[in-house]
Parts: sequence; structure tokens; C-alpha cells
Amino acid sequence: MSETILELNSVSIFQKESLVLSDITLAIDKGEFVYLIGKTGSGKSSFMKTLYGDLPLTQGSGNIVGFDLRTLKEKEIPFLRRKIGIVFQDFKLLPDRTINANLEFVLRATGWKDKSEIERRISEVLDKVDMKTKGFKFPHQISGGEQQRVAIARALLNDPELILADEPTGNLDPQTSVEVMKVLKDINAAGRSILMATHDYALLLKYPSKTLKCDGSKVFEVVQKSA
Amino acid sequence: MSTSFDKFQKRKLISSYFSVTISIALVLFLLGTLALLILNTQKLVNHFKEQVAVTVYLKETAKETEIDQLQKSLALADYTKSAEYVSKDEAAEVLMKDLGENFVEFLGDNPLQNSIDIHLKAAYVTPEQLADIALEVKGNTFVDEVSYDVPLVTLLNDNVKKISYGILIASSIVMLIAVLLINSSIRLSIYSKRFIIKTMQMVGATKSFIRRPFIATNIKLGIVGSIIAIAVMTAIMSFLDQKYPELALLQDVQMVSFIFGGIFIFGILISWLSTFFATQRFLNLRTDDLYY
Repeated sequence: MSETILELNSVSIFQKESLVLSDITLAIDKGEFVYLIGKTGSGKSSFMKTLYGDLPLTQGSGNIVGFDLRTLKEKEIPFLRRKIGIVFQDFKLLPDRTINANLEFVLRATGWKDKSEIERRISEVLDKVDMKTKGFKFPHQISGGEQQRVAIARALLNDPELILADEPTGNLDPQTSVEVMKVLKDINAAGRSILMATHDYALLLKYPSKTLKCDGSKVFEVVQKSA
Repeated sequence: MSTSFDKFQKRKLISSYFSVTISIALVLFLLGTLALLILNTQKLVNHFKEQVAVTVYLKETAKETEIDQLQKSLALADYTKSAEYVSKDEAAEVLMKDLGENFVEFLGDNPLQNSIDIHLKAAYVTPEQLADIALEVKGNTFVDEVSYDVPLVTLLNDNVKKISYGILIASSIVMLIAVLLINSSIRLSIYSKRFIIKTMQMVGATKSFIRRPFIATNIKLGIVGSIIAIAVMTAIMSFLDQKYPELALLQDVQMVSFIFGGIFIFGILISWLSTFFATQRFLNLRTDDLYY
């Protein structure tokens, strides 16, 4: 359980020319559940974007699921993203196709060919998020919480070692947030690491775990008072 | 409720495909018409050039066998379209008709010479080549003089050059407009899907995998567009052919198939390239740049 899955060494993150976060050094081990908290604009999203290759790492060194972020080539980015699952605040499902087709797209894009295996995998991940009966619907036909659960199912398709969740409950009401959180916790219990950016402190209190805080262009670990 | 939304979605999709297809069809139609014009201008120019006659005047002393042989060898030459012997009596008759006056009676003698009229193939009607041919024919001892309208030939060649340059410039402009129009309508249709493209990248799809369905769809639209353009052109050409059969628009199968084939290939090529570059553009942008 001490295998490191994400490691950053004195990393600085820039949005265009302006410095957002500086001198980040952290490590996440396999199977850990880590919160990343901070006010809006504190650089949580930029931090996440750097991790999945949407922002280039220009200062410091970083290693994520076996990829060196500093020397990451444009061509390698798709393959990095196959090894991490990403969950967004605004779900980012493909609006022009059904839930099943959304998941099928990801599988086909990542090299799955066999039709029956694809179907099996889709029903497997939908079952995990309890959405098995809604596969024929379009994203706009289901609720926000359901969409987010589908997005989590999508992140699970290729059995990633690390799931990056960028404010997954940001657009959801408290009750739905708890449901989504439960799904994430279950996945974590199954052995996957999760890094979740959030500003929903209620969730932190309800599901306490290792917590990193972005503040004043620094990232540091905070210790929760009660468990 | 869902069905009405589906219908709306489908209609929206169809209308966006529709506008791309129509703009491709219109532009290809324009290009095809221009190509038709160019090729027919060439025909017209050739027609004029082949009207230019070179007259070989023969000496009185020339023997009939010599004349016959010259006429035959001229008729067989590469540059000849037709070579025709005109006796001086025939020439006098023609001239008398033109003048409206019996000049033979007036002069008491026919001053005209026996001659051979040569009509050349269009490719040989240039001042230089005509001079060469005249010199060659003049080498025969029984030939008195070789005559043709030098200023006319020079003028004809100069004008053809000017017209060709004009057409070349016009067609490059139309070509440019064609490419820009098709390109921008395809780019717009892809611009509307830029966030979908970005999402696809987020879940680990490679650029070529994302691009493939876009290219397939737009090549299909290009094919439909070129078929529409060809259909419209066929309709218009057969209408013109009925009204003006002397243009012989549809007779030249080679030309027509060349134009139609060109339209088809150009339609596919341009939609393919435009889609490639348009998708490439959005694939290379970072998420934050998509909002600008």
C-alpha cells in the first residue's frame, strides 16, 4: 500500500504568465483518498489540469501513474488520460449521444474492439454507480446527480489507478452530493486512489480523509480536528 | 416529450449538414461552369484559328502532275486540316460574285493564278510556324508565292494570349473563393462542436480517432454536394444543348466527363482537407482557449 502514484517536487503552476501555485511538493500513495480544498480562484482547477496534461508543467518535476509530467509529449497525453479517470464539475458527457454510446465512445477510443466485451464492461461500470437501467437515455434527459454518476462510471471504464475529480459535487444539491460521494468512497474502498478537489466542507466533515489546502499560492496538508 | 426533442435535435443536425452541402454544391457548380467556359473558349479559339487560310499561288508553267502531287503531300502534312485546289477559273467566279462585276471581260483576260488553299490545324497557327511552312512550300520551283494574312495571325495570337491570361486570373480567383467558402462553412460546423472535441480528448481519445468520424461525415457531404452540382450542370447543359445545338455541349464526352470527374474529386478533396485542418485547430487548443 505504499506505492506512490502521484509525486510532485517543487512544482510551480502558471496560468498563462501569471503564477498560480508555487513550490508544491506532495505524494499520493496507491489507495489513498485525498481532498484538495481551497477558495475559488486558489488554483485547484489549474492544479488538476496540470495533472491530466491540459496545462504543461514548466517548473519542477512530477510523476503521475508512471508518466513524467515534465517531459510529457503531446502524443502521450491521450495515453496518460487512459490511466487516470477524470470527473468534472460540469460532467462533460457528450450531449449528442446516449449514455451507452458515451461509454462506448470511450472504450472504442481506447482500443476496445469486441462488441460483446464492450457491452459487458458498460453494464459493469453502470452497475457500480447504480445507473444500469438508464443507459438508453441522453445526458439531458437525466438529472445532474445521475449525469455525474455516469461521468464517474466513464472514469472507471479503463480501470484507472487514479481518479481525479474536479469539484464533482459542485453542481449538485447536498443530498445528491452525498450519493455521489458514496460512490466515490466505494471506488476508493475497492483500492483506487482518488484526488478530489472540492470546496464542500460539509463533505469533508462527513467523510474525513487526508486533506490538502490551496491558499496563497501554496499547497499544504491540513489536519482535521475530529474524525 | 423526448421524441419531440429528438426530432428537434435531428432537424438541427440535418439543417447544419444541409447548409454545408448546399454551399459545397454551389461552389462546385460555379467551378464546373467556369471549367466548361474555359474549355469551350478553347474550342472557339481553335475554330477561329482554323479559319485562317494559307494560299499557295502556282506558276502558269506548273504541270498538272506536279500540282496534284503538291496538293496530295500538303493534304497529308501534320499541320494541314484541309488542302484544296482552286483553279483560276473557279477563283475568278468567286471574285466576280464578290465584286458584282465581270472583270475578266473588262480586262480581256483572267489575271488570277491557280492556287491551293490550305487550312491549318489550330496548333500550327502562330506567326513563326506559318513562316516556316510558307518557306517550305515555297521551296517547290513551280510555286510562285505563298500568301496569308500576317497581321491577322499576329492579332489572333496576341488576343488569344490576353484572353487566356484573363481567364486564368478569373479562374484562380473563383478557385480561391471556392476554397475559402467551403473551408469556412466546414470550419463553422466543426467550431460548433469544439467542446465535444475537447471532451473526447479528456477521456483519452487520440487526435486521429476523434478526427476520423468528422472527416467521414464531411467527405459524405462533399460527395452529395458534388453530385448535386453535377446534376444541376447536366440539367443546364442539356437545356442549352436543346436551345443551341450548334454549341455541341454534350457531344464532347471526354470534356464533359473530365469536368464532372474534376468536380467530384475536388469536392471530396476540399471537404477532406478543410475538415482535417479545422479539427486539427481545435484539437491543438487548450481548454481555456476555446472560450475566446
